[in-house]
Amino acid sequence: MKTKHFFKILSLFLIISVNVNGQDLLKQLQKELPNTYHKTIGTFKSTRIGLGHSVETRKKGALQLSLYNRYWNKPTATSQRFLADEVTTRYGLDYAFTDKFTAGIGYTNFDKITDGFLKYNLFQQTKGIKKMPISITLVQTFSHISLINANNDNFYDSNASEKYGFASQLLIARKINRLFSLQIAPTLVYRTETSVASNDPGTHFALVFAGRHKIGKHTSIVSEYGYVANPIKSVDTFNTFMAGINWEIGDIMAQFHVTNARNYAEDVFLTQTANNFNFKDPNLHFGVNVTYILHTKKNKVK
Amino acid sequence: MNKIAFLLLLFTIFNPSKENNKQQYIARQGQVTFFSYTSVENIEAKNNQVLSIIDLEKKEIAVSMLMRAFVFKKDLMYEHFNESYIESDLYPQANFKGKLVDFDVNLAKQTSTIKGTLTIHGIAKEVAIKTMIENKNNNYKLTGEFIAAVKDFNIKIPAILSSNIAKTINLKFRFQYQPYEN
Repeated sequence: MKTKHFFKILSLFLIISVNVNGQDLLKQLQKELPNTYHKTIGTFKSTRIGLGHSVETRKKGALQLSLYNRYWNKPTATSQRFLADEVTTRYGLDYAFTDKFTAGIGYTNFDKITDGFLKYNLFQQTKGIKKMPISITLVQTFSHISLINANNDNFYDSNASEKYGFASQLLIARKINRLFSLQIAPTLVYRTETSVASNDPGTHFALVFAGRHKIGKHTSIVSEYGYVANPIKSVDTFNTFMAGINWEIGDIMAQFHVTNARNYAEDVFLTQTANNFNFKDPNLHFGVNVTYILHTKKNKVK
Repeated sequence: MNKIAFLLLLFTIFNPSKENNKQQYIARQGQVTFFSYTSVENIEAKNNQVLSIIDLEKKEIAVSMLMRAFVFKKDLMYEHFNESYIESDLYPQANFKGKLVDFDVNLAKQTSTIKGTLTIHGIAKEVAIKTMIENKNNNYKLTGEFIAAVKDFNIKIPAILSSNIAKTINLKFRFQYQPYEN
């Protein structure tokens, strides 16, 4: 009885040892693969989702030249222009000083806003032996407006000559799967210009939600929604919404979207968007962002 | 009866596997480089962490590499390669398994053909690769190059970028093997 039992075990071991010897080399190699982790890439394809920043930063030495355009029609019957009555363009320049730190400046011709930002990637989502479930990026933007009545309504005290605005953002994003990414951004907006008479708050709290879904190897659909907890009281403002398509073509990223936001500076469009999102003129804005990435520093391959 | 069985057991567990390993050699830092030459743009990438095992008794070879370990000149190329072309989240590895067809253990330097299956982007393809095999003090060195067609591995290049990426990719490899001890 005991011997029989032993032979059972013996035959089991024989099978196992035969398996080890007959194991193919590829399986043997799998055991030799290093136990490491890797950073999640491409949570979003671009450093911008459409309106606001994404958690992504470019690698060291990357220079981004960007041209953002937004077109809309005037509601008047005299509107006879081809395609669009009005256009606002932001000319932007970003430079990645390190893999984690990027700074950028821009100028918008329609509202005469000069804006800039500092962006630092604090944590990057990782997979493997070192797990980090989310990516976190800090963004600080600042803007200066030299035009009175940027949105053709009475946000501004006409006597104010210096109007600064700041937005501090904490971008928290997760690439949930290979196609789908989500981002939430608690934002603090601070405006130096507040009309004394209107009793408008100078500090606003906003939450920006964003998502992207890949629909092809080079294309993805994106959406963004900005909620402001304490909006301006003196004028009706609306939360911003954007839906669009991102398309990458080599070194060029093209973003097409529809939105109700007219301005590009974070502090301005989050708190001072005077149009609700709908398809009536002048509320519907068609946006085209084109970004060209130039690598000023190249990795050594040899 | 029990004792015999026990001895047999010991023998089967320890002996054959050890004997087997004597003929195995491993390369842990193999190099694979690929080039895509077009008139518009040259793309070059290198992987310095390629794993390979050769079994001289069975005349077999296996190669395994992580696609994420490729280093590109431009960082954006790395992202595009992994995200849009190779899809390294779905197919993290490229593997090769084959036989050294006309290999002679006694020669110090020889050109041998390796025939086997190359798997990239989840697509397996039969290939034959001419390889230079050198043996110096029981350390083997394998070098060679071959050409792979992009479309064979179901890697699609958008029409707008067809002038930037070559239809055939030039691959070079270099492995330095040491005796493999488990």
